This record gives sequence, C-alpha cells and structure tokens, in this order.
Amino acid sequence: MNIEAFKDAIHACRFCFMCRHLDPVGNVTFREADTPRGRALVCDRILMDPASLKTPDYIDALYRSALSGANRFHCVSHYDETGLVLAARKDAVEAGLAPASVKALAKELAKSAFAVKGKKGATLYYGPHPELYAGCATLAGRDPGKALEVLGFVKASRKVLAAFKKAVAASGCKTLVVAEPSAYDFLKDRLSGIKVVHAADYLLAAKPKAAKARQAHYIESDFLRNYCGNPSSPRDLLKALGYALLPFGTNGEESCAVGEGAVVYDALNPELCARLCARVYALAADSKAPFITASQAVKDTLVKYNPTFNVITLEEALLA
Amino acid sequence: MTPKNYLYEMIRSELTWAVGDSYVQTNEADRLGHSIDYYWVPELWHDRGEKPTPPDFVVHPETAQQVSEILKIANTHGLPVIPWGGGSGSQGGALPIYGGIVLDMKRMNKIIEIDPVSMTVTVEVGINTQHLEWAVEKAGFSTMHFPASIACATLGGFIAHRGTGVLSTKYGKIEDMILSLEVVTPTGEIIRTLPVPRHASGPSLTELYLGSEGTLGVVTKATMKIHPIPEARKFHAFLFKTMHDAMAAGSKIMTCRLQPCVIRLYDEAETAKLVKRVLGIDRKGAYLVFGFDGPEKMVDLQLEEACKICRAQEHEDLGTEAGQSWWDHRYKFFYPPYMFHLPQAFGTLDTVATFANIEKVYWAMKNVVQDNFPQATFIGHFSHWYDWGCMLYARFIIDEPPKDPGEAVALYNRIWDMAIRAAIREGGVINEHHGVGLKLGRLMRDLYGPAFKVLESIKKTLDPNNIMNPGKMGFPGKGA
Repeated sequence: MNIEAFKDAIHACRFCFMCRHLDPVGNVTFREADTPRGRALVCDRILMDPASLKTPDYIDALYRSALSGANRFHCVSHYDETGLVLAARKDAVEAGLAPASVKALAKELAKSAFAVKGKKGATLYYGPHPELYAGCATLAGRDPGKALEVLGFVKASRKVLAAFKKAVAASGCKTLVVAEPSAYDFLKDRLSGIKVVHAADYLLAAKPKAAKARQAHYIESDFLRNYCGNPSSPRDLLKALGYALLPFGTNGEESCAVGEGAVVYDALNPELCARLCARVYALAADSKAPFITASQAVKDTLVKYNPTFNVITLEEALLA
Repeated sequence: MTPKNYLYEMIRSELTWAVGDSYVQTNEADRLGHSIDYYWVPELWHDRGEKPTPPDFVVHPETAQQVSEILKIANTHGLPVIPWGGGSGSQGGALPIYGGIVLDMKRMNKIIEIDPVSMTVTVEVGINTQHLEWAVEKAGFSTMHFPASIACATLGGFIAHRGTGVLSTKYGKIEDMILSLEVVTPTGEIIRTLPVPRHASGPSLTELYLGSEGTLGVVTKATMKIHPIPEARKFHAFLFKTMHDAMAAGSKIMTCRLQPCVIRLYDEAETAKLVKRVLGIDRKGAYLVFGFDGPEKMVDLQLEEACKICRAQEHEDLGTEAGQSWWDHRYKFFYPPYMFHLPQAFGTLDTVATFANIEKVYWAMKNVVQDNFPQATFIGHFSHWYDWGCMLYARFIIDEPPKDPGEAVALYNRIWDMAIRAAIREGGVINEHHGVGLKLGRLMRDLYGPAFKVLESIKKTLDPNNIMNPGKMGFPGKGA
C-alpha cells in the first residue's frame, strides 16, 4: 500500500494532539476524524487491516481533509500528515474505492487541454491576467494535473501533465510564470529546460511603482507558505505596491485559505467549504480593509459564499 | 448498543432533534477517534490490533440548553454520557468504556466577554486553549495558562482535571484561575455557581465541579482571570551536582517567598536523557531552571536573589541563555519523536507533596520501580512549585513491554499500583494536574480513606441514574 511509505507519520500522528488547533476542517466541524490524529488513526487501522480500506466512513474522512500544510509546518518534527492522506487517497483509487463524486470530478479534470497564445518569446505566463505580462506568451488551459494528483488519480494526473509539458515545450520559452500557487507547487520541480517562477517573484523583479498608501489583509497561501518554503515575495510585492498589511484574526498560524491545499475542495465538499469561508468572514467581521490572496481559486471560493466579501488577488492588486 | 436496531435509531432521532443532523456522528472514523484518548492503555490496545470500545453516538452541542436536553435523553434511556474536550487527557477520563454518548464539547467555543476592568474572560469551555489565549492576547491580555497541551486541550478539559500550565507557580493552577462556572447537572438543570470565588456563603460549588471529571455534570461556561502582558520575563539555569542540592536551592527560592513564575528541576537521569536530547545540554548533574516575570526592575531584582541562593550551593551557572532556551523549547518535549511513544510502555507518576516529603516520595517511587521492575527506567522532574511544596513528574519507561496486550497492561498497572501506594505512604497525593480518570480510580479509596464516602454520596445524590462518565474517578461503573 502507498501508505506504508508514511509509517513514520502514522506512528507519530496517531496519538499526537499537538497540532489539532490548526486543522481548518476540524476547527469548523469539531470532529475527531477531521484532525491529523483522527486521519492517522484511520490510516493506521487500514495499515493493520487493509480490508478496512473498504469502510466508506474511512474513505470519507480522507476526502474531507483540506490538506492544509499548516499542521506540518507547525509540527516541530514536520511529520508529513498531508502526504499520508494523499497516499491513502491513492490507495483508495487504486483499489477502485474512490467515492462516486470523486470519480466524476476526476473524469472532468482529465479533459484538460493546453494551448499557447501570443507571440513566442522568452517568457510564458500561465494564469488569469495576461494583461500584466506584456511581451509574454500565454499558456491557456485548466489545472495542469495537480487536482487529479490530490484526488489520488496519479496516472490521469501524469497524462494531463504530459499534455501541459508538450504545450510548454512547443512555446520555446525559457521561463514559465505561474500564478496559481497550487499549480506552482505542482510544476516547480517537474519541468525540465524551463525555469518555473511564481507570479509574485516575477512581478516583484519588475520593480512595480507604488500607488497610494493603503491597507489590506493578506490571506496566506497554504501552498506558498506551508508547501513552498514561505517565500516573502507576495508580501514584498504588496509592500512595493504601497500596501501596509494588517494583522488578521488572532494568529498567523492558522490556514484561512478555505481548502486551497485540496485544490478542488469546494467542488468536492461544498458544505464544508462554506463553513471554512464562514470562519474567515467571522474573523474578518471587524475590518473594512480589503483581503488579498495569491490564489484565484481562494478568491473565487470566498466570493462564492459571500459575494460582498472584499477580496482581490495579488495580480489584481497590481491593477487596482 | 447495537447500531441499526430500531431503539438505536429512536435515540439517534432524539439526539439529532436536540442538536441538528450534522452534529450527531455515528460513523466509524469518528467513533474510532473517540475510542482512544492520550491514555497509554487504549493506545496500546489499538497498537496491538485490538479495538478499544467506541461510543455509540458522538454529539456536539452548541448551547447549555442542548446539553440539558441530551442529558435528559440519556437519563430516559440509561445511556452513559462522557464529556470530551480535546481528548488529550492522559488518564482515560474521556474514554467511553461502556459505549453511550460522547458529548464532544468543542462546538461550544465562543468567547462571551472580555472584561478589562475586572480582568476576566467569560467563555464557553469547549474552546481550544490556544485559541483562547490568542483571542485574549489580541485584546492585550494573557490567560497565563501555558500547559504542554495548550494546543490540544479545551478549557473544559483543564477544569475537569484540575489542569495546570507551566507558569503555575505565579499564576496558579486552573482552580486558582476560575472565578465561576455554568454547569448542567446530570438531571439537566442549568446552574451558575457564585460569581466570585472568595465568599462566606457556604461551601464552594465551583470547587465541587473543579476536578469532577464529568462525573457530576457538564461544565459549559467559565469566567476566568486574565492578566496584563508582563513587561519582562527572564530565565536562568543552573546545573547542580545532585538533585538534592538542586531541590535545596529550589525550595529555598520558594520559602524565601520570592515569586518565580516557573521553576523546573530535572533529576540526573532526565537531565541526561531529555534535557540533552531536547536542549542539547550534555552535562552530568541536575538541571534547574527558573523564571520571573513582571515589571523589569522587579524581575531583575528577584532573578538576582534567586541566583544568589543557587550560587550558595556547589553549582555550574548555565546562564540566562540556557534558561531562555528551555522556555523557547518547552513544548518540544511533548512532540514526537521527543515524547515517549509506543511500543514503549510509559507513564507519568504525577504526585504532589510538601517540601518535607517530596524527596522521600521521589526515592520511595524510584526504589519501588527499580527494585521490582528492573526492565523499567525511572526519570523525573519537579514542576509546579508552591510556597509549601512541589509536584513530582516522575516517569517510568519500558522499552520492550510484553507483546501480549493483556500482559502489558497488567505489568503497567502493577507499576502504578506499587509506585503510587509507595508515594501515598510518604505523604504524596495523586495527583497534581492530570486527574484520576480510569487509570487511577482504584487508588482513590487508598488516597481518601473514609472521606471517599462523602464523594460517593455527592455523586449518588447528583446523578441518581449514574449516567455521567460512569467508572471514572473510582465511582461505580455502569450497572454497578
């Protein structure tokens, strides 16, 4: 089983409670199964008795996880509980036990196609705001395979990635600028012959001019902070644009990225996603300053459940 | 109770009517999560492929009224109700040993009021204590409650077990922090104890519920003290040749009536094992660290006085840096892999005694463990120091306990029985802040003597159907 490779995390997390205060789903459902400990216990039971993988409640617990890296980031030993859940999802898929809703979503995601637009040059941009990237070619298409991987459909993910690589290779570009943090996390170490950078790094290097002084809250990206080494570029970019960042909520440890780590969390668990959003709205209730996120998906989710919520993306901050 | 029979469904209908469909769980993953807390025995049971008893229902109430309705349902059907906070108790106090309803309190997590005039916070007790501390800090204060389990436990869990935090020497244990409580009695009445703890209006009902471990009712709200953020907090560490020398210095700091916020003394074995591993201090001897907080001038003065006391003994001065390092890493001791873990057998022989007795207690327990269980390692540290004595956080560790879970539990319990009874003989009290739970219930009669009948009478009067957490704290089990 794939989870065998994560025995250390199973054994460390199954009886450990030290990060439970940071699980975004556990914090809104209050359920033990929605904590790293709860999921590690489930995986331990599956490891002991592989037939128990057929337990629908266990599979449900695995797909309820928002895969936030906040818990791993907090843990002094950084046990990879999110890696464990991904491995368990793979086991479920390989055993044909993925829930019908997950299979349907995977089928839809497998239809991805990619095309390069614009004149060929040194830099290729992959994101929703090509108008910010003058002189760059644009790569159009949906998720490059990260969502399928997160759902446990590794083979299908590889196929989509192959199509993505083919399009990138055809562009002849030497640098790929990626806007969505999930895609950046997925692509940064998987492409050869082309440098992958996050949009914040690219835009910051262009030394943008500061507009008027203003205030905002920055919703930390789960992928950038907890998966990709917490680069300072998003905050530096906002500072360069004249934004003074205000503290948000009561702490800087929790993930407020409303399921970003699970990429297609809202499509899979809309009821839970609505609860994650409600928590962010409640924390934001006493502020009039706008919220800025690195992720278009996070913005779309927050706006979906409260169309009046004042949130823009990093790239939109440049346009504002 | 067997799932899927019609009585089960009837009860589930009543529960979902009380709290809503989304807040009654009967699925396998949640029941598994609630069948194991931080007590070694259910952990071992699971580790060896056995299945600890799960609850029949996990219910998440949002209000005291809902708690009341659930308790009335439980009384009607004779179902056990086991309050569950963070599940991080080490005594098995939250285990549903007879099935029944686990009352998971985490949904009751709202902060009702922060009163900056009286310096109090009123809060629903299902709140995670780290979340509480963050919220109080945002308002410019602190609970000064910093237990190792701050990130996992709820305030209700600390109230249930008379928990404590690392700064207890100055700011007190949870029972010193709580002013008043809202409680749902076992028969469903919602009551409030008197609003302040210092009064002459009869015995303290607040005290009755502090440490009652969910056996006398369900605590739903609490008003607790909060404190200003201190201007300074400073630490200093020393290494003494022997634990006895370090104890002499530590007890003198307390009996001179200096007011440290924390003192911690590690015996030679724990200094060699854990202090070395976590802090990287590789020395022979007994490591003593203390800290003071408050206005900086007072901190500096008290710190200097405490250092003078230590320097009067044979010592190695490790300085402020080694003290600060301990503070910075204080939680690291409890994360894997630094914490002891299965397949090891391990237990914390939490005992508290006066300064006159505490070393006798230490040696009595150590000798009993070493003489009778040569396969066990005994280590200990002294934390939570008071004007009159301190707490001994002694631990035994067996690297390779028996494979058979029954044999392993029997060995484990025998060590507890012998070590704790030895401590009681020397004037020790079990225990200082972990509670009794399932683990130590059988020792309550030894500890209390005839006075235990008083506790039993209170239990019987308040909980006539014995629905509240049966079989814990030495009280009768279900059907007893």
